[in-house]
Amino acid sequence: MNRKIRQLAGALIAMYIVLFAALNYWQVNRTEELASEPGNTRALIRQFDTPRGPIVTADGVVAARSVQAPGDSDVKFIRTYPTGDLLAHITGYYTFGLGASQLEQTKSGVLTGDTFTQQVRALEDIFSPTNDNSGELRLTVREDMQAVAKFLLGPREGSVVLMEVETGAVTAMWSYPSFDPNLVADPDYDAAFEYVTELQADDRDPLLANAYQQRYMPGSTFKVLTTGAALDAGVITLESFWEPAREFLPPQTSDPIENYGGSLCGGDLAEVFRRSCNIPFAETALALGAEGFQDGIARWGVGEEIPIDLPRPAASTIGDFDDIDQQLPLLAIRGFGQNDDQMVPIHMAMVAAAVANDGEMMAPFVVDAELDHDGRIISRTQPEVWQRPISRQTAGILQDLMVGVAENGTASCCIALDNGISVAAKTGTAQLNGPGEPERSHAWIVAFAPVEQPKYAVAVMLKGTNAEISAGTGGRLAGPIAKAMLDAVFAVDPPLPAETAPETSDG
Amino acid sequence: MSSTGASPARTLVRRRRSTELMLVVMAGLITAVAYTLASLGANAQIPARIGPFLGLLLLLVGVAHVAVRLLARGADGTLLPVAVLLHGIGYVMITRLDDELAALQTLWSFVAILAFVATLFLVQRTADLARYKWTLFFGGAFLLLLPMVPGLGVNINGARIWVRLGPMSFQPGEFAKIALAVFFAAYLAERRELIAASTWKIGPLRLPELQYIAPILVAWGFSVMVMVGQRDLGSSLLFFTLFVVMMWVATERVSYLVIGFVLFGAAAFMSWKMFGHVQTRVDIWLDPWEDEYGKGFQIVQALYGIGDGGIVGTGLGRGSPDKVPEAQNDFIFAAIGEEMGLVGATTVLMAYLLLIGAGLRIALRTDRTFDKLLATGLTTIIGVQAFIIIGGVIKVVPLTGITLPFVSYGGSSLLSNYIVLAILLRLSDASARRLGELPDDPTPRERWAAWNLRRRSRRAGLTDTEMHEVVS
Repeated sequence: MNRKIRQLAGALIAMYIVLFAALNYWQVNRTEELASEPGNTRALIRQFDTPRGPIVTADGVVAARSVQAPGDSDVKFIRTYPTGDLLAHITGYYTFGLGASQLEQTKSGVLTGDTFTQQVRALEDIFSPTNDNSGELRLTVREDMQAVAKFLLGPREGSVVLMEVETGAVTAMWSYPSFDPNLVADPDYDAAFEYVTELQADDRDPLLANAYQQRYMPGSTFKVLTTGAALDAGVITLESFWEPAREFLPPQTSDPIENYGGSLCGGDLAEVFRRSCNIPFAETALALGAEGFQDGIARWGVGEEIPIDLPRPAASTIGDFDDIDQQLPLLAIRGFGQNDDQMVPIHMAMVAAAVANDGEMMAPFVVDAELDHDGRIISRTQPEVWQRPISRQTAGILQDLMVGVAENGTASCCIALDNGISVAAKTGTAQLNGPGEPERSHAWIVAFAPVEQPKYAVAVMLKGTNAEISAGTGGRLAGPIAKAMLDAVFAVDPPLPAETAPETSDG
Repeated sequence: MSSTGASPARTLVRRRRSTELMLVVMAGLITAVAYTLASLGANAQIPARIGPFLGLLLLLVGVAHVAVRLLARGADGTLLPVAVLLHGIGYVMITRLDDELAALQTLWSFVAILAFVATLFLVQRTADLARYKWTLFFGGAFLLLLPMVPGLGVNINGARIWVRLGPMSFQPGEFAKIALAVFFAAYLAERRELIAASTWKIGPLRLPELQYIAPILVAWGFSVMVMVGQRDLGSSLLFFTLFVVMMWVATERVSYLVIGFVLFGAAAFMSWKMFGHVQTRVDIWLDPWEDEYGKGFQIVQALYGIGDGGIVGTGLGRGSPDKVPEAQNDFIFAAIGEEMGLVGATTVLMAYLLLIGAGLRIALRTDRTFDKLLATGLTTIIGVQAFIIIGGVIKVVPLTGITLPFVSYGGSSLLSNYIVLAILLRLSDASARRLGELPDDPTPRERWAAWNLRRRSRRAGLTDTEMHEVVS
């Protein structure tokens, strides 16, 4: 019988080898396929079972945090957003059924404590009574400035971006309309789904952070880029002079280019910039030539995605240049910010900041620091130069030109700051309607202050969706918003008095 | 072999017991650590009851070990620790899944250890079991068919394998399998030559007289009844495998294996043809995703859990094994695979292989046919039962509702498996005594019988020498 017993042992061992092979099949070979099955909610549940750290603004307001889920819930924690829609485009949302967006998506590892640094540090605490390893995000964005931006824009569609000139740190970035992430993260999936469906059906794109994920025709604010490129290329100088004109007929067309409102406009560079004549900049673009213009503008980062630490940023563009040699009127028009020119709102703030920052364009960022559960810093964002679009000299010239706009030009109505803080600006009114159609335009302004020691740059864009905005100009409509924004930020973060400001040059 | 001091064989026996003690303590510690980890993982805190729990655990395994030391000190030293390890892993998993069930499981653990000690105490000679073979046969058959009695049997999850008596419910099949294994071992030990002797041939198969093949037909009948009447494919397969394997080992004739599985295959095919629930089981086995949220839900969720566990698992207390319905019973292996990963699941497989190895080694070591067959049968029960349910959970074989020995929640299962364990230890102790590894001292009962006999013979006026002649 012993032989049969040994054979039985062999058979049983073989059976268990089959089990072991099957286990390997499921746990090693098929683990990813199983994880990606739509019916498999385990990875999600695991994420929702672990505590997730808060997202906190620069001024200490909690924008996102986890709270205990109601007792009957599938999960232990749900995410709430105490600031409602105010920071929705930055924090994004984190949901059970509808995925995650923005920082909640890209910085999930830090928030849950899954980064390598956090995992290593957690090893020290392996015997501590808690296994909460969640991290925290500290933003550069100030909740109070964000609230000011929201108040100033009110129910008008558009974007406001306020950023630090020297670092690229974003202090405020608001777009209307926004959305309430609390409703997206509603544990009642059906209610959340209905809300998101509604948001997606809205053609104003409330889910999209228009300030960095959308682009708009920039109008005359674009003249900053054209001027910078032309000055650097030596095509124009401060001494350049344009005869006052009402119309300009570019080559290859019989349709003349006009100044805004058909006015008579001309003079030296300072004057045409201050008054924002169109014809001189059309001529400048033609003088640069298709290639020169394209290269000069590309140096401002146009054509590349905004290098912000948020997901899916848009890229500014000056349109298709394939056969522009046969369409020189289009090149001329693009020279002053019309036709296919499209700029991302935050990119215009970066343009103003680059002018203020002596020609260095900083990469924008909204995350100041990542902290571990004990408040120790895991990483702090180091400011980085993204582009050097213009020389220091050109930047100086542009600064003066923009001061002119603020003091006696198209923005003089509205941009003068409180407490005599100096400011420089450029307005834009982007005409969206073709000839003969009702007026429709975006109102723009970019500005920075103080001029001597630039600290903040701002960009305001109002979408030309209603008659009030379309009838106005960038200076008159967007100017007061930029002024109030800068006044507000200097109220909490006053500039150094001019006399104590460190000398930058011949000290 | 008496009192000449520490002979090599007796040192071996002593070492066997101290190894067992060491391994049992280790299994206890693994359980305590796992228990703490599960609590940390689930609630981020050291369990409040860790002190009492540890004490209770050590007390329980201590009692079991002392019982082996006193009642079966020559027994194999690996069986108990492996069972304790499996029991511990199961207990941790049940606690992690359901606190209330864990409290009940604690109670069942007590009862099971008591049953273990009682079995060791009551069955001091393996021959005692063989003597009651017909009692056990009828008792086993009665138990097996009990759930089919109207008013007593209860349908749970489609299978009618439960009996409810007032507040108590149990699975009689768990005990029937032991009784029937003992009966078969005894029956075959007596008649194996007759059954093996073949008198007529059908093709290449040589068959014995019909009267000797009758038991296998009866067993087949039982299995079919269980399959049809109780809708319990797992138990049915288990019983039938048990009978066929024991016949095959006893007679050393492959024809029994072939006939057995042909008969069972025919019955299984018929029931697949005739019964919707069997077809459903097979369909789910072939493609559980076809009805992912309906009939396939349990196995699909189990596979998600196992897949999610990966190689090292999600960590105890950190998975979601509660997504699998009945995770604490038939699907406890899925919970282990999820939270302890391939590493933990393989540990469980290895533990069963160790049990199988130890059990079959007992069968090989002994020279008594009954002991051989019984050890083979009981080991086959554990090995095949674990295979059927683990294979069902990971889609190797069609899913059948059956408990994972020592691991699953449940009183009947734990109790019967500890009884099996005690009998295996007794068989192993007996062979150690026969091999002279320790003196074959009379059991207390035998001493009492001898004393009684002497007393009566003295009364009858016989001298000791005369008495000796009468007895021998």
